[in-house]
Amino acid sequence: MKKKGHYLRRVFVWQLPVRVYHWLNALVIVALCATGYLIGSPPAIMSNVEASHRYLFGIIRFIHFVAAYIFFFNFIFRIYWGFVGNKYADWKNFIPTNKKYFQQMWEVLKLDIFMMKGKENPSIGHNALAGFTYFLTFIAFLIQCITGFGLYASMTDWWFADMFVWVSNVFGGDFALRNWHHAAMWFFILFAMVHVYLVFYHDYVEGRGEISSMGGGWKFIEEEVFEEEKA
Amino acid sequence: MSQRIVIDPITRIEGHLRVEAEIKDGKVAQAYSSGTMVRLLEEILKGRDPRDAWAFVGRVCGVCTSVHSLASVRSVEDALDIVIPPNAELVRNIMFCTQYMHDHVVHFYHLHALDWVDIVSALSADPKKTSEIAQSISNYPKSSPGYFSDLIARLKKFVDSGQLGIFANGYWGHPAYKLPPEINLIGVAHYLEALEWQKEVVKIHTIFGGKNPHPNYLVGGMACSIGLDESSVINAERLAYVSDLLHQAKTFIEQVYIPDLLAIAPYYLDWASIGGGLGNYLSYGDLPTNGYRDPLSYKFPAGAILNKDISKVYEVDLRNDAEVQEFVTHSWYDYAEGNEKGLHPWKGESKINYTGPKPPYEYLDVEQKYSYLKTPRWKGHAMEVGPLSRMLVGYAKGIPEYKDIVDKTLAKLGAPITALFSTLGRTAARGLESVLVAQWALEFYDQLIANIRNGDSRMANTEKFNPDRWEKQAQGVGHSEAPRGALAHWIVIEDKKIKNYQLVVPTTWNASPRDFEGKMSAYESSLMDNTPVANPDQPVEILRTIHSFDPCLACSVH
Amino acid sequence: MAAPENKRPTYYEELRQRGYSRRDFMKFCTMMAAYLGLEATGTAQIANTLLKTPRIPVIWLHFQECTCCSESFIRSSHPIVADILLDKLSLDYTETLMAASGHAAEAAKEKTMKDYYGEYVLCVEGSVPVDNDGVYCCIGGKSAIQVLEEAAAGAKAIIAWGSCACNGCVQAAYPNPTGATPIHKLVKGKPIIKVPGCPPIGEVMAGVLVHIITFGRLPELDKVGRPKAFYSKRVHDSCYRRPYYDAGLFVESFDDENAKKGYCLYKVGCKGPMTYNSCGIIKWNDGVSYPIQSGHGCIGCSEANFWDNGPLYRQMASFPGFGIESNADKVGMVAAGVTAAGIAVHAIATNVRKKKLVDDLVAEGKESEKELKS
Ligand code: HEM
Ligand code: HEM
Ligand code: NFV
Ligand code: SF4
Ligand code: SF4
Ligand code: F3S
Ligand SMILES: [Mg+2]
Repeated sequence: MKKKGHYLRRVFVWQLPVRVYHWLNALVIVALCATGYLIGSPPAIMSNVEASHRYLFGIIRFIHFVAAYIFFFNFIFRIYWGFVGNKYADWKNFIPTNKKYFQQMWEVLKLDIFMMKGKENPSIGHNALAGFTYFLTFIAFLIQCITGFGLYASMTDWWFADMFVWVSNVFGGDFALRNWHHAAMWFFILFAMVHVYLVFYHDYVEGRGEISSMGGGWKFIEEEVFEEEKA
Repeated sequence: MSQRIVIDPITRIEGHLRVEAEIKDGKVAQAYSSGTMVRLLEEILKGRDPRDAWAFVGRVCGVCTSVHSLASVRSVEDALDIVIPPNAELVRNIMFCTQYMHDHVVHFYHLHALDWVDIVSALSADPKKTSEIAQSISNYPKSSPGYFSDLIARLKKFVDSGQLGIFANGYWGHPAYKLPPEINLIGVAHYLEALEWQKEVVKIHTIFGGKNPHPNYLVGGMACSIGLDESSVINAERLAYVSDLLHQAKTFIEQVYIPDLLAIAPYYLDWASIGGGLGNYLSYGDLPTNGYRDPLSYKFPAGAILNKDISKVYEVDLRNDAEVQEFVTHSWYDYAEGNEKGLHPWKGESKINYTGPKPPYEYLDVEQKYSYLKTPRWKGHAMEVGPLSRMLVGYAKGIPEYKDIVDKTLAKLGAPITALFSTLGRTAARGLESVLVAQWALEFYDQLIANIRNGDSRMANTEKFNPDRWEKQAQGVGHSEAPRGALAHWIVIEDKKIKNYQLVVPTTWNASPRDFEGKMSAYESSLMDNTPVANPDQPVEILRTIHSFDPCLACSVH
Repeated sequence: MAAPENKRPTYYEELRQRGYSRRDFMKFCTMMAAYLGLEATGTAQIANTLLKTPRIPVIWLHFQECTCCSESFIRSSHPIVADILLDKLSLDYTETLMAASGHAAEAAKEKTMKDYYGEYVLCVEGSVPVDNDGVYCCIGGKSAIQVLEEAAAGAKAIIAWGSCACNGCVQAAYPNPTGATPIHKLVKGKPIIKVPGCPPIGEVMAGVLVHIITFGRLPELDKVGRPKAFYSKRVHDSCYRRPYYDAGLFVESFDDENAKKGYCLYKVGCKGPMTYNSCGIIKWNDGVSYPIQSGHGCIGCSEANFWDNGPLYRQMASFPGFGIESNADKVGMVAAGVTAAGIAVHAIATNVRKKKLVDDLVAEGKESEKELKS
């Protein structure tokens, strides 16, 4: 495969909206995790300042809520883009619809995760396993938004958040709701760790510019793979 | 000829008590007392954080609210070797006294009085005569003829409505009611007054514990910090509020409760030889004046009396596994090693096994297990606990405060000391200790003020609040004298969690079923001690003796 | 103490005042009976009811409970309970206060259930144990389930007092050994007003009853069935320590300097942010204080399952089943550690198993580099 003079094709994979979505998403998730953690276990501050002169915790919560709104609408936007974006952004990348999807997932699992030997068969956009993982993250997004707005509903009068008052009852009260919301934070942290690692991994073992693809939007694909995919 | 009667529900108590009795020749010939509701809190506590236990066990009872929380924090502090600051002890004492005053007054007027006071007869009272009697027995200001005639008018209107509400179907007109209409009217008046009063005294709990029922407690002290120059803690205003309430409470007890008790008692002196029962009395002691660890400093002394012999008071050791034990021979439980053995509470078990009849049922099978209460014994003896036990132990120990008040009261009624071993004695003892407690509460208050004045504002010892500082294994016992009697909680802690938690509760002592030898506990034994039943369809006499114990079944079963 | 002039006239008295005769009244009753499709005896029943029902009959049942709800109720300061009992409603059955016992008590209850079928308000204090055919709570030889079913049948509405009746409270805490069950899971097809709290505030309890008596209808309920008037706000929303929360000033441990300053109790476990109740507004025992004001965090006593919502003295999420010292963060940190370790192992394995692949890439890169150099 790797013969001398082997030829790489530049393919435009991530459209600008996907890239903007991605980095905005990454940013607000980091912010939500950080502020969320602080809300759950605030730092000890010994201070003689009267409460009326400080609003630290209020600010932390404010950041959480602002980030939450951005997170939510960014996510909605991404769903929309799944229907109008290019084929790499398409929702079908995320939801297993046919046998081939599962086969491919199994392949990736074998090769990349369990490190078994076999024929490398890189994909251009998401590989099936990654796609499915993102599907799971979308579900986590949904849960986090529902639980988050469920908690938020009692703090605001805006009709939008008010739509979520039912959530608390479904979860059996705010306490349980908050527990779930808090626990789900760890999914995001774990996802981010594995995700960032795998992006580096792919860049390292495949040499197609995986990392920079989320910056410029393109990847470098081997001629053969390109031809195969075209056929 | 004997007749079997069932009284279920027994009302004007806390919880679900059932009495089955054989009536023969106008007297109780056999009696069985059964608790018919269980929640199994001892099982629910397993595996939980010992620091949380006070809140769980607090919910054992909303009538004697706070006493289980107190016993619980003491058991944990005992296990973890935590000494609480003096202020916390004083606040706990003040809350304890508050609980007593409330509980005893409510018991006397709202739970017990209707056994002695005939409200229908009150309607025919003469307001003027009533006023004269009222003024002759007390300085209580609400005693004018107008006050009483207004009350009669209100009562008439109530009765005329045809809806008697809580008074419907009472045994009114039963020959056992002996009071003249005027005293009945005073009783009814003070029933209503006490209903208003009781909501005031509990505010002391609200100030220190945030609410009542079920005020907050804390392992290591109390959560209500003191800060004389702070706005949101116990400061001068809060303390003045407490002082005010304590004085009000004392006034009510001295001007209403005790005079009523002394006005009613002479009409029922026959009850001084009815319902004595066991004659064994037990008290664990409470109200430390030099810290919980110094039992000799207790206002309520600890001790046991056997066979009505007040010349000797035995010592009580809650850690000795041969002293307090619980049996389940006639209780709906199973012990792993057989149901004949008694278990010390540190090794106690609460495995439920209902073997009674399937509801709806008419009678229990009293030869078998017949109650959800276990049967506690002290060195194998059935013991009575409660106000009478406390008064007797204090009296037998020759403590002046006790001797003084008991002797004076007996002299006033012209009764011998043996009159105390009775239904009437029990009801009187409750009144007398209320007087003492009302005085002591003010002493504790003064000490609290003195402490604060001297610059000590500590309210909690949190050195060992963090479980990381606990031993891997620990066990403790926390005791108290709840309004209904000797109360203790035994806890075993392992790996920061509750491994075992056992409560042995006053009403468990008194209302329990027979033990493995067939020996009766206090209720059954006192019912069989001379309690008459003139009309088996209207067993008001049984209620008198049972109510004299102030039953709390939610407590007893937990 | 003069009797306040607030006895409502009966319907009959009201008709008489408006100039109707007794014959008119009976005619009205007959018409009502026909209208309701009742038989001849129904007329007498209606007449009887209207003649004598100035006060709503109430049956108050006690099951698995600690009577703190009744105790709280008698603490109500406005209106005071003496007035409620004598002038506002007719409490025909309550084991805590009623004079009659045993059969006489049961008879009083049955009379109300019959005479006021469809009209009485049923109050329930306590949960109902359903395990083992309901033997864990029996009254008069009947199981609580049977007692509840009988009394619910003719009730106009049911009030579930306290957390026991609303969500099972302490006896329903894990492992719920008796199968303690809240009322709404057992009674269907009747309006149920939930008044949670352990106990609920006395004035709230009286307020619910007074609402029914004064306005002749049930109070408006939220989605879980609680009266909106008392349960629409979180304790946290009306807590006077809220500014400290917003400022990030917290009590770090009980009785510390911050506790003396009255800082927010969030870090010592206050559940106010998750608890819907009126404690911060109405407060307790005639407005004297409430848990937070007296230095202890809210334990969330009006929320479903509050006993199993983790240890009292920790704010952070904790899940039952992991043991008391493991909360979501501990589990999460362990998972993060395992993940990091997994990543490290994977990274090393990559360099071993995929050596050739990577070597090829590197070689290819170096080749190109060399070509450029020369
Ligand atoms: C990646 C997404 C998110 C993460 C990781 C996250 C994390 C957290 C965490 C850890 C907490 C503290 C919970 C506790 O008390 O233990 C929290 C609180 C909260 N979050 Fe989020 N959150 C996220 C998204 C959202 C969203 C979309 C909303 C929607 C409004 C939201 C609203 C809230 C609210 C209302 C609180 C409670 C704050 C308070 O009571 O002061 N969160 N979050
Ligand atoms: C150094 C940081 C990061 C880099 C270089 C990076 C790179 C990438 C790349 C290359 C993809 C495409 C993956 C594929 O084709 O399989 C991707 C997708 C994604 N990344 Fe990241 N990522 C980073 C951080 C994050 C973080 C912190 C998050 C959020 C926790 C995140 C969330 C996502 C999501 C949700 C997708 C799916 C995007 C979509 O197609 O909708 N990423 N990322
Ligand atoms: N028995 C009992 Fe209690 C008391 N006093 C507790 O320990 O009532 Ni509920
Ligand atoms: S809700 Fe709480 S206060 Fe009311 S009966 Fe149940 S345990 Fe007692
Ligand atoms: S004390 Fe509790 S309810 Fe009050 S502001 Fe703090 S967290 Fe909220
Ligand atoms: S514990 Fe209960 S009493 Fe109020 S402040 Fe919290 S809801
Ligand atoms: Mg026990």
